[in-house]
Amino acid sequence: MLIVIKSADVFVDNLVEIGGALGISQIILGVTASAIGTSLPEFGSAVIASLSGSTELGVGTVIGSNIWNMAGILGISAIVAGSIRTGSEGLTRDWLMTLGTGLILIFFMLFGDITWTAAVVMIAAYCFYLWFLIKAQRKHSDESSQQEENESHNIETPEKQEKNSKKIINKKSIAFVIVGFVGLVIGCRLMVYSGVELASIAGIPEMIMGLFTLAIGTSVPELVVTLSSAMKGLHDLSIGTVLGSNTFNILVGIGVPALIMSVPVERLSLTFDAPVMLFVTVLLMVLVRKGNMKLNRVAGIILLVTYIVYAFLRIFVLA
Amino acid sequence: MPFYGYLYLLKVSEMHEKIMVATMGEYMDEIMKYTLDIIQERKTEVIGIYVVETSTPFLTPKKVKEMMATELRDKGKEILESMRQEFQSSKHYMINFRGMLREGDPAEEIVKTAEEEGVDLIILGTGKDIIDKRLLGSVSEKVVHSAPCNVMLIKTI
Repeated sequence: MLIVIKSADVFVDNLVEIGGALGISQIILGVTASAIGTSLPEFGSAVIASLSGSTELGVGTVIGSNIWNMAGILGISAIVAGSIRTGSEGLTRDWLMTLGTGLILIFFMLFGDITWTAAVVMIAAYCFYLWFLIKAQRKHSDESSQQEENESHNIETPEKQEKNSKKIINKKSIAFVIVGFVGLVIGCRLMVYSGVELASIAGIPEMIMGLFTLAIGTSVPELVVTLSSAMKGLHDLSIGTVLGSNTFNILVGIGVPALIMSVPVERLSLTFDAPVMLFVTVLLMVLVRKGNMKLNRVAGIILLVTYIVYAFLRIFVLA
Repeated sequence: MPFYGYLYLLKVSEMHEKIMVATMGEYMDEIMKYTLDIIQERKTEVIGIYVVETSTPFLTPKKVKEMMATELRDKGKEILESMRQEFQSSKHYMINFRGMLREGDPAEEIVKTAEEEGVDLIILGTGKDIIDKRLLGSVSEKVVHSAPCNVMLIKTI
């Protein structure tokens, strides 16, 4: 798990360096780094699980991660930080996309296996979302640089930030991208293999293994980012990481494996896991609205209890 | 305020010519109100300080760490700018204001800067409930224990 998370970090980090040197906008790189960087472990394990024939494990990891991200991670973060404030515009955009993504997934699940046609729609939807995100970020960035120009006088800062410095492609970055990618593949392969083996030794269904053990494990980057940004008062980053990551997990985490081979849908996934994911998405918005655009400590407890109840029902009652 | 309260404030203001006001952006109105009460009509140097907390948990992606620091720096500049506007308004001509943005552990940086600048008084807010104190820690408690000068805590809840 550590290999996967660290490799994902090294991979995205150095890819961004190279992108910067090639002249790709910092905004595009920033958005992709945070949205995709924290979700690479889920994505990697879903792809590797598909390639090695354990498609159930992949789907389980994605749906399980999404429920854990919203109910578990946001619940814990709200309990620890006391409250997570949300901006209404950004929250509505990201939340609607998460809800829409869940509905798209359920819609395709109704037809049985998720095929390449569904995969194309899902990946196209993600590209559209990314474009929308970059547009919003660019607008925000223009406004803040204008504001910064007006405000920068009479404030002593530790060092002047380097701006507009021309970078060149570093051979070390290319080497690290390769190392990160190889680490990601090996780490995900090891993780999926151990998950399958452990499931068969303990007599646990692969789906349960994916829904809980791998889902929670691959979400460690989201947990650290969401929790620390909530504690630092960076509320947009906190809730945005979770919602952005959930959208990526479904559209790309299931979309790309479905492009490689059809992803089978387990009946319980359609009748229980996916509806729970939608329920938690709606519950999150209800709690935020009730709390005056804040996710307070009580809301955090409600979310965490919801996750515990879901896990109990899924493992002990429905399995 | 009772009469002895004014006497006390006058005494305090005589002693403090260089005051450091530390804030994370919360309860700014209360903190600035008390600072202005202390200064009254005296010529005073006020240093506003905002510390960007750069520590992040293990396994936080490097790019996200950078994004967090940038966001906090921007937030800090905004807060210091609003302090500057309040302290340097024509009403408060006797105040010479300086904004300082530091990076690191908030309590350590506040104490270190207070030592470097030789301030006479540190003013900061306090008001976390017991659960917040346990879960998030308290900057004001740490500052009180190691400050090189007087500390004035503004009770905010």
